[in-house]
Amino acid sequence: MIIISKILFKVFIPVLLIITTFGCTKNSKSETDLLYWSSNLPEEILFAKYITTEWNENKKTYHIKFQPVPEGQSSEEVILAAVVGKTTPDIYSNMWQGDVEVYGLAGVLIPFDTLEGFWDFINERCDSTTIAEVTSSDGHIYQIPWKINPIMMIYNQNIIKELNLKEVPRTYSEFTSAAKQFQKDSDGDGYVDRWFGYSEVLVTWWQRFFDFYPLYLAASGGAPLIENNKAVFNNEYAVGVFKFLKNLYDNNYFSRERLSTKQDIFLSGVVATRFTGPWEIAHSEKFKPAGFEYGFQNMPVPDNYTGPVYTYCDPKNIVVFNTCINPQLAFNFIKFALSKKNDLKFLELTNQLPRRKGIDENPFYKEYFENNLKMKIFAEQAKYVKGTDINPKLKEVFDLISQEYEACVIYGVKTPEDAVRDAAEAVDLLFLD
Amino acid sequence: MKNRRVKNKLLPYIFVSPYILHFLLFVAFPVLFSIILTFHKWNIISPMEFTGLNNYVRLFKDTIFLKSISNTLIFLVIHIPLQIIVALFIAEILNQNIKFKGFYRSAFFLPVIVSGVVVTMLWQQLYGFDSGLLNRLLTSVGLPKIGWLIDPAMAMPSIAIMATWKNVGLYIILFLVGLQTVPRHYYEAAELEGANHWQKFFKITLPMINPTIFMVVILSTIGGFSLFIEPYIMTGGGPLNSTISAVLYIYKQGFFYYHMGYATTLGLFFAMLILLVVVTQKKFLEKGE
Repeated sequence: MIIISKILFKVFIPVLLIITTFGCTKNSKSETDLLYWSSNLPEEILFAKYITTEWNENKKTYHIKFQPVPEGQSSEEVILAAVVGKTTPDIYSNMWQGDVEVYGLAGVLIPFDTLEGFWDFINERCDSTTIAEVTSSDGHIYQIPWKINPIMMIYNQNIIKELNLKEVPRTYSEFTSAAKQFQKDSDGDGYVDRWFGYSEVLVTWWQRFFDFYPLYLAASGGAPLIENNKAVFNNEYAVGVFKFLKNLYDNNYFSRERLSTKQDIFLSGVVATRFTGPWEIAHSEKFKPAGFEYGFQNMPVPDNYTGPVYTYCDPKNIVVFNTCINPQLAFNFIKFALSKKNDLKFLELTNQLPRRKGIDENPFYKEYFENNLKMKIFAEQAKYVKGTDINPKLKEVFDLISQEYEACVIYGVKTPEDAVRDAAEAVDLLFLD
Repeated sequence: MKNRRVKNKLLPYIFVSPYILHFLLFVAFPVLFSIILTFHKWNIISPMEFTGLNNYVRLFKDTIFLKSISNTLIFLVIHIPLQIIVALFIAEILNQNIKFKGFYRSAFFLPVIVSGVVVTMLWQQLYGFDSGLLNRLLTSVGLPKIGWLIDPAMAMPSIAIMATWKNVGLYIILFLVGLQTVPRHYYEAAELEGANHWQKFFKITLPMINPTIFMVVILSTIGGFSLFIEPYIMTGGGPLNSTISAVLYIYKQGFFYYHMGYATTLGLFFAMLILLVVVTQKKFLEKGE
């Protein structure tokens, strides 16, 4: 007993004290070190390694320590946990634009507009529309536009040729008519098994970034969904999008079944088109069967639509957390990471577009786009893209729209007019809360 | 001397202190904090805001939450009887002198130890409308396809069938244990009296394994109430919210939208509901003994 007591008092308790005291402290780093988290996509890790190595080798004033965002169910959850635990990095480069407002208003992000040299930098990089898009409701700017992946329509060129179409469907009518022509029961079991397009049927809020939202932006010329905490989407464009998609599902031109759990439905010819981003290029090039040809086109628009075709661009931006002891140093590194030269490196390594104005016409990137013609289509589209509206309740807004979308578009239990109206009313109620 | 006396007095407290610490940190504090949280609005990042009984009022007006409770109850109504019938039937067969008994017992238990996510992905393929194995079987014998996961009326029963397949192995083992405790001479006496197989089953087996049935009902009720992985992966709660379970809805409120106060209120209400159902079941089953 005495031995146990001695062990307890002399070994166990001191060890426990040491562990509890020092085990919960933040990663130690010197005051001139900054911690940078990138996303954990292999290509982005490569890029992050490249820029940190370049910086650390050439700028001796302070050191950047890089690591990919720690593993978790999603990077959003990891960031949230880090914010709560005050273990955030100094710089994070994969923040979804829609999340920034919540963190900004909660005071956990550094407003870049208070830092020296910010306005010169942002005006050189972005146009006024983009700057307005990332300006918080409190007038500050908590994020630096970094990269975009515009959503466009990928199409199977071989199928378009087989259908003897003069051009790739551009409007709702052309799309629907091509869908009718293509739909078939290839194995003769009495059920359709070839559809013109496919969109994920899950009700999860962010799935609407790949169907309703880009189509709404395309139809409306980039109109917002919410303004001053009020739904402004109860209009002809949203109703038109619901009608267009509902018609596709009602006629089985789009499948109600989840096809995404099977082999690649686009490359295997099960569907002729999809709404997707530039990441599809690397995937298709790697896995496409011999002779498979594909291309990209703007999102379909209403028949009477004229003007540039907008789309959603899935923007990911860079932020600096308030745990950063020297935000100005962090900003200097960000300026370096987003330089013209490093944007080119980013393009080459990741095949994602930097959000830089006029990138498609800038001679500095000409060679890259000449060698990557499909990426040039996305670069041209980048002139007409939109991110998300600035609002801290964006996820709930998209969830409410998604609920009505499912009821109307996929299962047809509501008319498009009723569904859009109900979604708008529910969003207005959300803001009254 | 005095030092040793102090040490001896302290020693028992030191021995129990890990448990007390654990209890205070991981049970008492979270429970108390949750109760306080139900009266607040909190998104984790910003400071908590007192809202009185707002979360409770909202709960009773929240049609999706009420729908999620009804979905969970539908799941239980299908899942529990199905689980008991299938498990008892297979256990009864495995309790006979059949060849490869050990192999069958292991085989039926296998899905229990396979990850829920893997099982869910597998069944998603089986339930596929166009290329799923089940619909291929149906069409091969001239029957129409079933929208296992895309028909709102079928989606929850489909999930219940899958959950039964996944968990039945555990309950087979429990029933086997129960069956083996029934004394053989009861059956021998009944046989001498001319009882047939069904009479023996209903008059001897069922009453004798009542405690096991009770345990299985309680375990599968609690397990059923925590339905999450299956709808989360297979359907996301759709179609038309027909498979959104209470736990999935609470998760969405908490971790999609960071409505921590409201999610905690839902969680607390749901915990009370589970308690009520389990106590009622206990009383009902004890009455039947």
